[in-house]
Amino acid sequence: MAGSKTILFIEDDKPIAEMYARVLEHEGYRVDFAYDGAEGLNKAQAKQYDLILLDIMMPEKTGIEVLHQLRGDDGKGSPGTKIVILTNLAQNKTSQEALTARADGYIIKADIVPSQLVGIVKKLI
Amino acid sequence: MGMKSTRYLRQSLALFFIVTLIPALVVAAVWYLNTQAGAAFELNFQSYVLPVMIVGVLPALILSFIFAELLARPVLRIHAAVMELARGNFKAQFKSRGAGEFEEIGNALDQVAMRMQQMLSQASSETAIIAAERGKLYSVLNSMTDGVFALDRSGRIILFNKAACQLTGRTIGQVAGQLAEKVMPFRSGGELIMTRWLASQPGTEHKIGMWKGLELYRADGQSLFVDVQAVVLKDDPNGIAALVTFHDLTKQQQLEEMKVDFVALAAHELRTPLTEVKGYLDVLANEAKGLSKSNREFLDRAVASAATLSGLMHNLLNVSRIEHGELGYQPEALNYVAFINQFAADLKPRIKQQRRKLKLELPKTLPTLMADPTALREVLTNLTDNAINHTAPGNGTITITVVQHRGEIETAVTDNGVGITADALPHLFTKFFRVSELKSTTRGTGLGLYICKSIVEAQGGHIWVDSVEGEGSTFTFRLPVHPVAQISNSGDNEPTTTITRGAHGWIKDHSVH
Repeated sequence: MAGSKTILFIEDDKPIAEMYARVLEHEGYRVDFAYDGAEGLNKAQAKQYDLILLDIMMPEKTGIEVLHQLRGDDGKGSPGTKIVILTNLAQNKTSQEALTARADGYIIKADIVPSQLVGIVKKLI
Repeated sequence: MGMKSTRYLRQSLALFFIVTLIPALVVAAVWYLNTQAGAAFELNFQSYVLPVMIVGVLPALILSFIFAELLARPVLRIHAAVMELARGNFKAQFKSRGAGEFEEIGNALDQVAMRMQQMLSQASSETAIIAAERGKLYSVLNSMTDGVFALDRSGRIILFNKAACQLTGRTIGQVAGQLAEKVMPFRSGGELIMTRWLASQPGTEHKIGMWKGLELYRADGQSLFVDVQAVVLKDDPNGIAALVTFHDLTKQQQLEEMKVDFVALAAHELRTPLTEVKGYLDVLANEAKGLSKSNREFLDRAVASAATLSGLMHNLLNVSRIEHGELGYQPEALNYVAFINQFAADLKPRIKQQRRKLKLELPKTLPTLMADPTALREVLTNLTDNAINHTAPGNGTITITVVQHRGEIETAVTDNGVGITADALPHLFTKFFRVSELKSTTRGTGLGLYICKSIVEAQGGHIWVDSVEGEGSTFTFRLPVHPVAQISNSGDNEPTTTITRGAHGWIKDHSVH
């Protein structure tokens, strides 16, 4: 069912990325990885993904910067791609910023477990 | 006293008569004998006058000596004693027995000496007290951790305590007699706020000025942040026009910043490993096949504990946000019945896992509630968590009841658990309060109810508890409605894109209808 869906995981913390990827791949999603913001942006621009899971605190470029660049000033960039922030930063300010920059979701990693992420992903794509 | 005076007068008169009359009588007797003897009588000096002189004058002389002696002796004694007095010996005794007026003078002088002695010893003990008091005052001033200094009418420093020296890095020698605005320039936004205020005070009434967070440069150029309090003294006899106290906030401020940083760091840094613990446990729980019953139980316990830890951290972070005013509320028009239904649905797995029962008692419709859903979820999560923790598996029942109460919506979370002792009830909503008698099965930071209260009150509501020990507890909160429009529960008016908010996160949901 989800076999053709592609996900880009932009996350500098490898074990975390692998942990989520494991359950997502288990569900049949195809997951690519990028381990910093700049690499993530390159990969996102090179190929259209159905979903980008985006960390915020990363080297090179923050997730918010990547989000801004992908969505563009009008907020309409990458229309075919859902972008969900997956972070442990819980500040309202950051969350609000992500909403304004047209993210499709803002998830606190510590608040969910991988199976819940699968549920969310299934709803989104 | 009058009687005594008469006696002395009599004695003196008697003496006078004796001294003057005896020679006079002798002379009269001689003259008489002379006339009796006729004109032939010759006044023979040797045979008559000399014996008469001797017989008459000698006793007079002797008596005069005695008299003079009687008169002079007490005077001399008094003189000697007065000299003693003059030398500072107040123990001198003037009392002279049987010397009439002199006795009285002596007594009077004795009293003077005694009084002076008393005054002197009193004065010396007062001096000792003053010295001791002064010593105490200096000890107090110098052992204070706050800086204290005093100014005279011209604004010059006349007293500067040890803490003031330490805080400013200046010595008493450097500041004594200097203008306060020169050596102690407390500034707020560059303004010499305190000295200016002091200068504007006429000094005719007692006044107090207080400033928070003023900047003061130390002698070494470092800046301090201080709270300052200045007291204008009215007509101070010691020439003090104002007394200034300042309290160093630098450490406090650093500590406060450290606390905020620490909480932020802890929240972020602890979450990362926690994410993995929770995540891998979840993966393991889902993927592990063929686990023994006990191994499965261990895994379930680890999952439950990781969830608890996550909740605790979440609460700690929330308290820090509440205290720094960072828990911004974003009220939305809420269909509260749907909201509670959704909350209950999310809670179901946990209820089932913990073998409790969940009951809902909801009205069909409610006015739209203007409230922050994330915050409300927080309140409900804390209340239901408490209810789960304080009931027994198997028969624990948690009931969420919602009723409308005029302009307010009342939500009650009731459990049939251990209940709360009467003495603990008033403290329940206090930060870090935990009911001590509760068994070790309950855990928490004692922050949950404090958070609930903060959130409910921030949204204009109130929260309270009713409990009977051994029977259960009911936590109830009411929120004002601020009605927008009466909407039905059918969902027809649902917008096409809603944002589902989690604890701190959110997901845009495009798929609703």
